[in-house]
Amino acid sequence: MGIVKVEDLSYTYPNSDEPAIKDINLDIKAGEFVLLTGPSGCGKTTFCRTLNGLIPKFYNGTLTGKVTVNDLDVSEHSTMDLAQSVGLIFQNPDNQIFALTVEKDIAFGLENLGVSKADMNREIDWAAETTGIEKLRNRATHELSGGQKQRLTIAGILAMHPSIIVMDEPTSFLDPVGAEHIFDVLHRLNKDYGMTVIIIEHRIDIAAKYVDRIIVFDKGMVRSDGKPEEILANEDTKLLGVGIPRILDLAKRFKSDDLFSPLPLSATNFYDQISNKLSLRDIPRVKDSIPEDLLALAGEYHHNPLIEVKDVHYSYPGNVKALRGVNLTINSNDYVAIMGENGAGKTTLVKHFNGLLRPKSGSITISGEDISKTSVAQLARKIGLVFQNPDDQLFEESVEKEIGFALHNFGFKQDMIDKRVTWALNLLDISQYREKSPFTLSGGERKRVAMASVLAWDPDILVLDEPTIGQDYGQKERLRHFLTQLRTQGKTVVIVTHDVEFVAESQPHIVLMAQGNVVAEGSTKEVMNRTDLLTQCSVAQPEVTRLCAMLEKHGMPKDIVDVEEAYQLLSRRLVEESQ
Amino acid sequence: MSLLESLRFTRGDTVIHKLDPRVKFLMTLVFFSISVMYMHLIPLTLIFMVQIPLVLAAKVFQEWFKSIKGASFIAGFIFVTNMVSFYYFKGAITWDLVEYSLTLTLRFIVLVTSFSVFFITTSPDKLSLALEKAKIPYEFNFAFITAIRFVPVLADEAQTIMDAQRSRGLELDKGNFVTRIKNYIPILLPLIINSIRRSLELAEAMESRAFGATEDRTNLYSLSLNRTDMVFLIAAISLAVIAIIYRLYGPQLPNLLGNGLIF
Repeated sequence: MGIVKVEDLSYTYPNSDEPAIKDINLDIKAGEFVLLTGPSGCGKTTFCRTLNGLIPKFYNGTLTGKVTVNDLDVSEHSTMDLAQSVGLIFQNPDNQIFALTVEKDIAFGLENLGVSKADMNREIDWAAETTGIEKLRNRATHELSGGQKQRLTIAGILAMHPSIIVMDEPTSFLDPVGAEHIFDVLHRLNKDYGMTVIIIEHRIDIAAKYVDRIIVFDKGMVRSDGKPEEILANEDTKLLGVGIPRILDLAKRFKSDDLFSPLPLSATNFYDQISNKLSLRDIPRVKDSIPEDLLALAGEYHHNPLIEVKDVHYSYPGNVKALRGVNLTINSNDYVAIMGENGAGKTTLVKHFNGLLRPKSGSITISGEDISKTSVAQLARKIGLVFQNPDDQLFEESVEKEIGFALHNFGFKQDMIDKRVTWALNLLDISQYREKSPFTLSGGERKRVAMASVLAWDPDILVLDEPTIGQDYGQKERLRHFLTQLRTQGKTVVIVTHDVEFVAESQPHIVLMAQGNVVAEGSTKEVMNRTDLLTQCSVAQPEVTRLCAMLEKHGMPKDIVDVEEAYQLLSRRLVEESQ
Repeated sequence: MSLLESLRFTRGDTVIHKLDPRVKFLMTLVFFSISVMYMHLIPLTLIFMVQIPLVLAAKVFQEWFKSIKGASFIAGFIFVTNMVSFYYFKGAITWDLVEYSLTLTLRFIVLVTSFSVFFITTSPDKLSLALEKAKIPYEFNFAFITAIRFVPVLADEAQTIMDAQRSRGLELDKGNFVTRIKNYIPILLPLIINSIRRSLELAEAMESRAFGATEDRTNLYSLSLNRTDMVFLIAAISLAVIAIIYRLYGPQLPNLLGNGLIF
């Protein structure tokens, strides 16, 4: 008998004709760790909200079928009654924290339930310890980092002792290390306390290692359901736009030739399966040094410094040091990724490029000109900055006007504006929404409108802050192609990102930041091999690179980031070994 | 503005911070009433001299000084307008008029001090607890805490929106008065829409944390008067009683500066 039973569940939102989910039948057993995934708008979030009755009680609409949780029929109990059976945790931790101190916030649910003070203190101790925030007990909630805040929301739910925890994309706002922390906590709850965990997540590369079962949603229905390896190895899943862990992607290429057919979910896993097939050996390191004459040849290629940052210091009010002497040169037509943990100063740095922030000391020049006297509006003409959250800028009544907004500000003539808007709409493939209100579009579409509204004035330099957050695999692929396209047009592209797999696939020049400083820069291959620096900056090494590093004593070069390259080398070795 | 900012709660571990919010509020009220009751420099100076050790004991001298700096403009304004209007109506400035103006100014500073010490040293959590004890419905209480909780969040968001729109060429301080107001529409609209979205998410999260599950809501913290609280409570009450008795039956207070003519 499952702890969650769903029978013939369909639901239609009010003011909508199409059901958001239809004919769902599921049986989730106690103690399972389940990952729900699928392309944006597939109904997974809607499904989660039926588990504690937020749908249909909070949203209205029509629901048919039956949901039973912990032997309670959801339709017969109120959400607050169900709170002790099912704990729901949402994407944005800021909107789930109610109190001003950590312990008081953990207590919020217990206070609502009327638990006595002594019991409350015991539960808080336990919940804080389990989520690893016991040292923060008396801290103010607004001082916590994003990862700590999300762990606090878990603690708040945990204190009420639900038997099922449901999380809707809890790691979207976190850096990879913060995300791993969340999964560690969930893993512990699942293994040590037998809690059932249901999680929605786009970061499959992290999630796949932890879960027992994956359920794929598409168009409001369950598309497939099974063990992670099987589901992710299935070609159908990939076609839906679910991000396959790249290590599995690599392994799948081996299936065709019968030498080796593993289904690993992590580099360690892959290594265990392949290491006994490869003999130990040293390889001739041809790649280590590039011959002198080749460098001389390469010298013909001129670097054109475009943005030059010299010894820039910046502190926020209250003397919070954000940048401590940053030096950086970005060349014309470069593709640069700025990486590092939350709070390393990445966004602060890019806000200096168009003058939103001015350095306390040091200088910034663009195309050789000092920008300290140039206004933001003038700089913006040259440097387009797209912010992380499209909702922080969309306000017009139609997509067309939204894209034209900046053009008006820059004083373009009306016929020119029309031309530019059409051009930008086509560029981002959103022409069909021209007359629509941006607020009716989905998250991914809103993001594209935000990008179009910047690209419309054709800036030379495009800066994107966290472009892949909350995007499914298909959307990321489109973005990657789009960035390549921009570069062939001679644009300089700078992205600020945590998404190491996106970086591994598009191979930009990487700038690593930590504590307000640039600690290293270089090609993706170079930087992704500096494990010490990556750890210092809370950047995860790509799984493929991790595998190759483990295989170094078997004669694999360790500076591999590309799946195809790794496959070529490994399959050649396997053939050699088998002869 | 800086006056309001300087009233923000500052964490601390002093006697004053730990004092029961109800006792602290009573003290504030006593200071308030005495400074309104008397119109003489002597009692106001005395009260001020009682307040200074409290500020020092709470180790919030810097924060308090900031609030006084914020209030200094108004204080100066009170003094100057008084002097000017006296000169205008009476044609001469005497020492007792100077004293009168000084008294008014000092009264204002005493008032600011009593409230700033209260707000700087009382955590909103404790304040809400006091409100709860005063039988104010929990919904109001919750709204109060939520408002305080989201001030920094909304301030951050407003800044981000402003940055995003300026990056799209919006120039806030360009044009005449009407255009300038219009310039703020691209900032206010996303802020309002995000707030509506946020409030929906908050409501969902509240439901999931069993908000309103029982009438008998409990509280992690409780208030009880300990010995220190009692000492401060008795001191505050006696101060009030002495002040009232003296005001009603005591002799007329002398002027400190005399009443000679200045010019």
